Amino acid sequence: MSSILSDSLLFWRPELCLAAGALLSLLLGAWGRPSRAAIAMAWLTVFATAFLLAAAPGPSSAALFFDMIVIDPFASVFRWLALATTSIVLLMVVGSRDGTEPDRGEYAGLVLMVGLGLMLMAQANNLLMAYVAVELVSLSSYLLVGFADDARGREAALKYLFFGALSSGVMLFGMSLLFGLTGELGFLGLLQAASGWPAQPPSIVLLSVLLILVGVAFKISLVPFHMWTPDVYEGAPVPVTALLSVGPKAAALALLVRMVVALQPVWPALGPVLIGLTVLTMTFGNLVALVQTNVKRLFAYSTIGQVGYLLIGLVVQTPAGLQGMILYLIAYLFMNLGAFACLAWVVQETGRESLDAFNGLGRRSPALAFLLALFLLSLAGIPPLFGFIGKFYLFGAAIQAHHVPLAVAGAVNSAIALYYYVKLIRQMYLATEDAPVTPRGTLPLKIAAGICAIATIGFGVFPTFILAWLPQVTQINLL
Amino acid sequence: MILTQMLLCPVIGLLVALALPKNRPGWIRAVAITATGAALLLGVKLLLAFDPNAPGIQFQQRVSWIAPLNVYYNVGIDGLSLPMVLLTVLLGFIACLASNSIKTRHKEYYVLYLLLVAGMLGTFIALDLFLFYVFWEMVLVPMYFLIGIWGGGRREYSAFKFFVYTLAGSMGILLSILTLYFRTQTFDILTLTATGHSLELGLQKLLFIGFFVGFAVKVPLFPFHTWLPDAHVDAPTPISVILAGVLLKMGGYAFLRIGYPILPDGARSFGWLMAGLGAIGVVYGAFVALAQTDLKKLVAYSSVSHMGFVAIGLASLTPEGVHGAIFQMFSHGIVTGGMFLLVGVLYERTHTRSLDAFGGLGVRVPKFSALFIFFSMASLGLPGLSGFVGEFLSLLGAYESLQKAVIFATIGIVMTAAYTLTATQKVLLGPLNEKWKALPDVDGLEMLTLVPLLVLTLVIGVYPLFLIGLQDASVQRFLTQVLGA
Repeated sequence: MSSILSDSLLFWRPELCLAAGALLSLLLGAWGRPSRAAIAMAWLTVFATAFLLAAAPGPSSAALFFDMIVIDPFASVFRWLALATTSIVLLMVVGSRDGTEPDRGEYAGLVLMVGLGLMLMAQANNLLMAYVAVELVSLSSYLLVGFADDARGREAALKYLFFGALSSGVMLFGMSLLFGLTGELGFLGLLQAASGWPAQPPSIVLLSVLLILVGVAFKISLVPFHMWTPDVYEGAPVPVTALLSVGPKAAALALLVRMVVALQPVWPALGPVLIGLTVLTMTFGNLVALVQTNVKRLFAYSTIGQVGYLLIGLVVQTPAGLQGMILYLIAYLFMNLGAFACLAWVVQETGRESLDAFNGLGRRSPALAFLLALFLLSLAGIPPLFGFIGKFYLFGAAIQAHHVPLAVAGAVNSAIALYYYVKLIRQMYLATEDAPVTPRGTLPLKIAAGICAIATIGFGVFPTFILAWLPQVTQINLL
Repeated sequence: MILTQMLLCPVIGLLVALALPKNRPGWIRAVAITATGAALLLGVKLLLAFDPNAPGIQFQQRVSWIAPLNVYYNVGIDGLSLPMVLLTVLLGFIACLASNSIKTRHKEYYVLYLLLVAGMLGTFIALDLFLFYVFWEMVLVPMYFLIGIWGGGRREYSAFKFFVYTLAGSMGILLSILTLYFRTQTFDILTLTATGHSLELGLQKLLFIGFFVGFAVKVPLFPFHTWLPDAHVDAPTPISVILAGVLLKMGGYAFLRIGYPILPDGARSFGWLMAGLGAIGVVYGAFVALAQTDLKKLVAYSSVSHMGFVAIGLASLTPEGVHGAIFQMFSHGIVTGGMFLLVGVLYERTHTRSLDAFGGLGVRVPKFSALFIFFSMASLGLPGLSGFVGEFLSLLGAYESLQKAVIFATIGIVMTAAYTLTATQKVLLGPLNEKWKALPDVDGLEMLTLVPLLVLTLVIGVYPLFLIGLQDASVQRFLTQVLGA
């Protein structure tokens, strides 16, 4: 038994490092003010984790901690995604001047904590583990959302907490039902149990699966479980909104992929529902985004729309779909975080979050406007940017799997989404600014936006490397 | 290699212009003119090196780009694309010369302009569907800004409408490209041309509809044309020239290069639709043009009318019709380009485009009047000038198989004469409006932009074989591909 533990810990060094670093940052942040030491600790943690991840054994699968956790190539991708998200968000945290400076140590520590939770979510191989991971992300997120400590932030945090607690409860209830029905918590055991079910499983099974899905759906803002998204995004500090719009979405999708594989026998009954919700999610998100006037709310709905595209990769149930999903997730990470870095920059300069804060940005700070325009065009799927390649793969996967209506829905939605992305570009370049503002972009924000821009253009024009590597990720069995 | 060099001209120019300081508009303009001029010179070299007797692709270059997807940087031209490439480099240079009317934000303007030229050139030389799509979309972004920032009137609305319309259409193209790829595992247009006919008819029809939506918006075919009057009118003069002269041809060319050869049976089953919409466009555009009081809008609607002939000629699938379609595209490019330049000349001086505001200019500005009459006549389809050849061949080719469309379209020809003559009369004839007593005539630079177009209109009008000879082998090959051996 001790050998299992020590072997497991060997594979799990990046996570251990991240956990220790997060706790230390929190601790240092609580003690020392200003928070320089805690921030330094956080950066050290990020680099150490990256180093350990890079040194981790290559593509192989290993079940750790008595099958609670699985490390496979699929999980590795999400480890990197989680770390990349965390570090870019950390840059934004350090770069923003929004009055959270004194508590920055705790801020950074919590961000790392979310990062750890995200990694766990993608590795969970057991319902209980999945629940713990989701809760780790959720609890840290509640705190982060209320971090700005103003009325709006507190309202958002409370709202997020209530919605989150409710959905966690529902999910837990579903899990307990499923456990009662099968006596299994591990995904592998569930698959074996589920294989014995008749073609049309009893409705109690479906109910329990649906309840579990509700919990995940809440995390990825699947319509109709998206209600909290705009309010929370609006109230949270910009870096936190950025984190929420990428990290939990990616990790929850990974979890969803594993659960769908585990519950494969239920898929015929479940599939049509998920496909319907996919189309509903993208259409609803994009349509409502059209009429937003607050830029964070706009991005909240845009995120909902983007999640819709991502889900295409899941619901088509093919390796190509999964590859498309991962590819688009990577693209989405860079372009969305990049856009948020630019938003943080603008909000900092103007002190406003309404869309007219962007008026005349093209004249005021051409570099910033160019970067933001780049990210928006990539989100809209204009070639030769990274977002286009991702969409190309996703829609292609849908067509390949004979889900042509899904591809058509995605294409129509891309056209709708273009409207509001370009509306923002229009304001930056074609509208005249209302009042002069002093440029106040900080170096970390510039670095964050710069990294994202390089990835967005670089992988867009030369995607060969990343495309060649994709099949490795999905070749293996996910359980 | 020469095609890549040509494509690199605007790209290098763009990078140099980016590196230059903002407060040196003269330098930036010089760079842009050099870049487009170099592309034009390469165009002439290309024309001389082109072998008109070879039906296949020439000057091909193929380099792997995205290996996992089988995407190649694959460029080449034949007789179908050569006229379009020449048109692009010629108008690209001329519109760049005419860009001295741009007075603000020079650096951004020329950078975007060069990007636009690169995108258009790329569209006409791409032989890989993926590459084609990238170039096709690449044109949108600079065009949006060029209309939106430097335009007039409701420029924001027009730029926006242009962008959203075209991108919505592009989604159809994207879906069709994807479907083709998953059926055939290739984006190579030449391979697809050779194998496309073996796809089942139902699928071909579906794919053609996808392509059709995207291409028809660009041509533009009635009823997908509504972005055109807005965009053309509100764009600054040089951009109107590019829009009407080159951008619209992307649609027609795409039908020739992709729609018809890859999906011959699908395309043939929609021949009636192409011809019908083309004929409606001819007549509708002409009638609406007749009702305009804004000179630029009149020219814009005349484009809708003239591009209708392209659709009719294409749909006929006869040698005459296809020759006519390409000829009409080329001719419309230079003639309407000239018309927009003239409207720009007038607007520069008077700051109005209202037909009623002019009158009697013929006395005051003889050079302008001569040019205006010349291009109007070419646009009207006067025999001896290029417009006549294109329209005549299109209708001739279509007469047997699409008689109704041809007969209907002739109404449009009559109306074209009506609105062109009305415009000429209102601007040039009658008593001189006292306001324009001191109107200066066309200056040297403006002459420089207009005379090449004039000469070309005359040359290919009198000796159409000059252009048709270049196309002929490729047109024959195109028809064999579409109609089967």
